[in-house]
Amino acid sequence: MIHNRYPKANVLRQRDHWDDATRRVVLDRVHNVPEFKHFDPAARATLEALCDLIIPQTHRPPDKRVPLAPWIDDLCQQHVEAFRFDDMPPNDVAWDWGLEGVEQTAHALFDQSFTRLAVERRQEVLDVIHDGRAPGDVWQRMPAARWWEFVAVRQVAGVYYAHPYAWDEIGFGGPAYPRGYLSLNHGDREPWESEEVR
Amino acid sequence: MKLHVHLSPDWILDDDMREYSPSEPVDFCIVGSGAGGGVLAQRLARFGFSVVVLEAGPWHDTEEDMVSDEAGSGALFWNDLRIIGGSNPLELGANNSGRGVGGSTIHYAGFCPRLHPSDFRVRTRDGVAADWPIDYDDLEPYYEAMEREYPVSGPARYPWGKPHGYPYAPLQAGSAGQKLIEGCVNLGIPVVAGGAVAIPAGAVGKRPHCIQRGFCLLGCKVGAKSSIMVSHIPDAVAHGAEIRTGCMAFDVPLDEHGLVRGVRYHRTLRNGTHVEEEQGARAVVVAGYAIESPRILLNSTSPQFPDGLANSSGKVGKYLMAQAGPVVWGRFDEMIRQYKSPPACATTEEFYETDPHNDFVRGYALQTVAPLPIAMSHLLISEGYSGEGLLRQMQEYNHYACLGVLGEILPNEENMVTLHPTDKDEYGQPVPYVRFNLFENDKRMMAAGIERAKQVLEAAGARETHAVNRYAHLVGTCRMGADPSESVVDQWCRSWDVPNLFVCDGSVLPTQGSSNPAITISALAARTADWIRREAPNGTLARRPRSEVHA
Repeated sequence: MIHNRYPKANVLRQRDHWDDATRRVVLDRVHNVPEFKHFDPAARATLEALCDLIIPQTHRPPDKRVPLAPWIDDLCQQHVEAFRFDDMPPNDVAWDWGLEGVEQTAHALFDQSFTRLAVERRQEVLDVIHDGRAPGDVWQRMPAARWWEFVAVRQVAGVYYAHPYAWDEIGFGGPAYPRGYLSLNHGDREPWESEEVR
Repeated sequence: MKLHVHLSPDWILDDDMREYSPSEPVDFCIVGSGAGGGVLAQRLARFGFSVVVLEAGPWHDTEEDMVSDEAGSGALFWNDLRIIGGSNPLELGANNSGRGVGGSTIHYAGFCPRLHPSDFRVRTRDGVAADWPIDYDDLEPYYEAMEREYPVSGPARYPWGKPHGYPYAPLQAGSAGQKLIEGCVNLGIPVVAGGAVAIPAGAVGKRPHCIQRGFCLLGCKVGAKSSIMVSHIPDAVAHGAEIRTGCMAFDVPLDEHGLVRGVRYHRTLRNGTHVEEEQGARAVVVAGYAIESPRILLNSTSPQFPDGLANSSGKVGKYLMAQAGPVVWGRFDEMIRQYKSPPACATTEEFYETDPHNDFVRGYALQTVAPLPIAMSHLLISEGYSGEGLLRQMQEYNHYACLGVLGEILPNEENMVTLHPTDKDEYGQPVPYVRFNLFENDKRMMAAGIERAKQVLEAAGARETHAVNRYAHLVGTCRMGADPSESVVDQWCRSWDVPNLFVCDGSVLPTQGSSNPAITISALAARTADWIRREAPNGTLARRPRSEVHA
């Protein structure tokens, strides 16, 4: 279980000190969670189960959990991809194949859908994908370890650590324009930053 | 065209920018507005030449378009598709390529060290890589000029390479930088606060000084960090250069005399559609950095150049170099909060040169880096973390101090940019295929650099250390040289094959040292501009250059 080290942190409370453009971008992310458009209900269920393992949030009250799967769906519609490994398909296809692969591996190992497995068994499925030795047709045409790092974990974690709730969890001060940071030595906190409680 | 672009909170570039008609040939059409193209445009405009700069991206208004937010800053980067391969595929976008006026200087950390004199003679000294066709002394006056024009801050005496001083004082190092300094001092390693960094401890013109906001890598909203957009573009515009944004160049055609006649490009209109245009020019400068520059040349085929423009040597696209940039971090008991202060704030070049005690040649620098939360999580993910383990490691975020090993990867012909055989971009042009491999010397150098960085962190009190391989900067795909059969351009960045064609960006570097390349690229551009000013009136741009190699 994750222990909350910065119980008083609340970066969002500083929003009035941010510039307009930054405030718009961050608040839009917090308040306007996109609708699912790319994934069908079955793929969506697998994706949500996957996100729960990559970034577990059971330590957070339900209203303070960061939505992850909707943003992955959104990414799959944007088709923005600065680079693609020559052994990988386009990002949206990689997600489709990867979620299918997770199910194939779950069926091969435990003869059941990933979404119906106990957490420990789900973790076993992800471990063999991480290690690049997962059973399943998909992993014959797409390298599992590559998918795991660059598609699954990086993108899901990228959504999480873009959110102010995650900033509070790690004690990140967040946007600081125009006022700037003033306490620069010895890791000191600003008057508006939370102390760490270990 | 009336501009309206914030360059800092109270400085709006609102000039009435000169506009040329594409059918009206200009003296110079420059592709790209970064460290090379931007400086060259400013110089040539000042010298009285007519100049059009084609920039694929937009103006990044500091108030409207730059945000203090990692995930919201994607538009600063070159996000057009590239296919990557080789044994060590290079991740692209993000840190190693910009899109927009100012190019990658919009989002670089600001480290601006000079090359060392030894960098220009690696073949002679170490028997590997290549010599430059010029020496350090040829570039020195241009380094000095650029350090005042950017400007660059650093110590009064910088002890490495050819020792020199910086005109502006450095900012105080943040807590992570202080750990680099502490560790080096405890080990007896010379180190400097600041380093050579394009963020001076004071206001410059209409640019206020730094507010320690820590988001340098996502564009400086303050205008304190130098970028070509704030240092040279305003002067270029004031002297009549047109910066034409939203223009993606794809072909440099020849006229009937075998000279280039202009640049073909796709221009994105306000309604989002694009049209194809051709800007006529008496000379063309390709300055699109180490992937897009060779891409344009390789894509510009003709009966005279079936393998790509200016490619009689077959070297266009070859010898791609990235700098090794392993990130090494230590966890400290005390708080660090590395997100405050600019990431670039301390450095040592003590391990830059070839040392006969090493099992490799050339070397590396140690610099500060300060990943924001998403970047930090990606480092941990590369170590294998996910799930609760990732969350726990990330909870240590404020206890991490991160160093970057910036190491010299040697040029190798197998590291290259080609045109992808099947994948096309939105305009129907083949996308770049970028293949990259590490070789033995590179691997040994990186291992040694990581080991050294860990020692430094431990000497500063780190409880544990971590390291993940990363890469930074892209240079070397249109190398300059003294021999036309082994290089693409001569010492003036001019094509050996086509007398009125230049390549003026990081792709001309034959080797890269362990110095961040921006200031070297700008210094080369300023040197090329001086040569053009001297030679153009003599008709030199109509004659093929002569080899400096005599059989």
